[in-house]
Amino acid sequence: MIKGRKYRTVPMVMVAPYFALMLFTGFIPLFYAIREVANPSWVNLEGSYSTLFRILKDFRVVPDLRHTFFLLLVFVPVTIISVLALSLLLDATAVRGNTFMRLVFLLPGIVSGGISVVIWMYFLGRHINWNPGNVKWLIAGIAFSSGAGSWVVIQYGSLRSISHEILEAARVDGCNRIQLAMRIKLPLISRYIGYMAILLTAAAIQIYSEPALLTSDGLTSNWWSLNQVAYSYAFQTADFAGGTALSLDMLIPSVIIGIIFVLKTDFLKRDAYQ
Amino acid sequence: MRQNYERRNAVLIKLTLWALTILVLVPFIWLLREAGPNYVASFRFLFMNQNGIAIAWLKNSLLFTFSSLTISVLSCVVAGFVLAILEVPFRKTMLFITLITMLIPITAMAMPLYVLIDKIHLTDNLFGLIIASSYYPFGAFLSYLYFVSALPGDLVNMGRIDGLGDWGLFWHLGIPLSKALWSIIIFFSFLSLWNSYQLPSILLTDPMHATLPMGLMLLYGNGTAIVGVLMLVPVILLYLLSQRSIERGIFSGAVKG
Repeated sequence: MIKGRKYRTVPMVMVAPYFALMLFTGFIPLFYAIREVANPSWVNLEGSYSTLFRILKDFRVVPDLRHTFFLLLVFVPVTIISVLALSLLLDATAVRGNTFMRLVFLLPGIVSGGISVVIWMYFLGRHINWNPGNVKWLIAGIAFSSGAGSWVVIQYGSLRSISHEILEAARVDGCNRIQLAMRIKLPLISRYIGYMAILLTAAAIQIYSEPALLTSDGLTSNWWSLNQVAYSYAFQTADFAGGTALSLDMLIPSVIIGIIFVLKTDFLKRDAYQ
Repeated sequence: MRQNYERRNAVLIKLTLWALTILVLVPFIWLLREAGPNYVASFRFLFMNQNGIAIAWLKNSLLFTFSSLTISVLSCVVAGFVLAILEVPFRKTMLFITLITMLIPITAMAMPLYVLIDKIHLTDNLFGLIIASSYYPFGAFLSYLYFVSALPGDLVNMGRIDGLGDWGLFWHLGIPLSKALWSIIIFFSFLSLWNSYQLPSILLTDPMHATLPMGLMLLYGNGTAIVGVLMLVPVILLYLLSQRSIERGIFSGAVKG
């Protein structure tokens, strides 16, 4: 933006509805949430921002952090690699039934909570003797199967957007399918991959529904994940300050990763895209 | 020689994909069997049960999903276009907040949202839920990524030279070049609204005002499979509809290379 240049009205009007929604249901609630933390909480009866730290002394936090790291180390990379592999495979050859396949991969993500737990328990739960040690694999599996399909649709869409001329030129230069995927396709969709990485990381840190669903079958305690602990503070002991404090603590790593992405890549610089 | 390799690889790719497809499909065939075999009877039971409360849930879900879908999709695609192509104050800040608000745990937002909706006296009211659910940062950021790479500066400049204003750029360049984007965003917005459970269960209390996913929990165990099928059908139909424009990709018709 050149200094002194005036902004025109039309773009501002165009972005106004989104801006209003962002303000009302995104920004203002976040502001409220930050203020909420300073209210008295069971872990901090006088009420102050130290609740943000005191909440971490809850005995459930350390085991839950271990679960979180497990998901970050296993679920996030496995999902990224599988989604990219599947999308590249779908994009690599004209397969009859391609549309049908993507629909099928999407199915586990479409069914809502109640049904998916019935399905999962029927197929896995009863045949394997789950102990608290390996239930994390089941949770990672459910999270993977319910999330991967929608990312396949998005990444397949981004791969389809690569222009035929570029791909054709690479083929003429002697690229085989693997070289085409590694040297041409993946670099061209790297921004979408970054976007996926940020959102999957946040999803892993904030995992809630998968362990909560298994609780109903007695496979996990109701505090397997940090988000469950936050939820139990807020909605079971009516300690909103405590619940919000833990939620905001969970937000911190996601925000840091987001900031690193923004600073280290040209995510928000549009000139870089041209 | 090389052609043989290529052909063999193509066959391997197809076999892998079909094997995976069948693996994922098994549980759903089971779901269909569980809901049947007499689907008509299952549906009749569902809709007659408790004075047809399931019909109220279905109506609520449809009204909520379509209103919120319209608001969220229109606002986020236009915003994505503006943030990618035009100049507005705080452009980067808005993009950054979009990214951050996507990462906030729902537990942190639930209470403040409830308080806000309560302040405008819209709790236990579908309109309150519609307003609370219409902010769609995921779609806005996806649109931004899309327009910023799908609309090259040259094309925008040519549009300007041809006398297009800000709105004209969106109308004559943005919309025709973004069919795949609209399909993806409509589909995912529908999916998240149609299945959304946490926010509705916080904002709505009267069982008559509930949406289908809430109803599913209320019914738990009793006719779950048939509600499951009922919830899957529209998603599958919409997927098949949106599919064709995703297939065609982003650049079709625009600048090549």
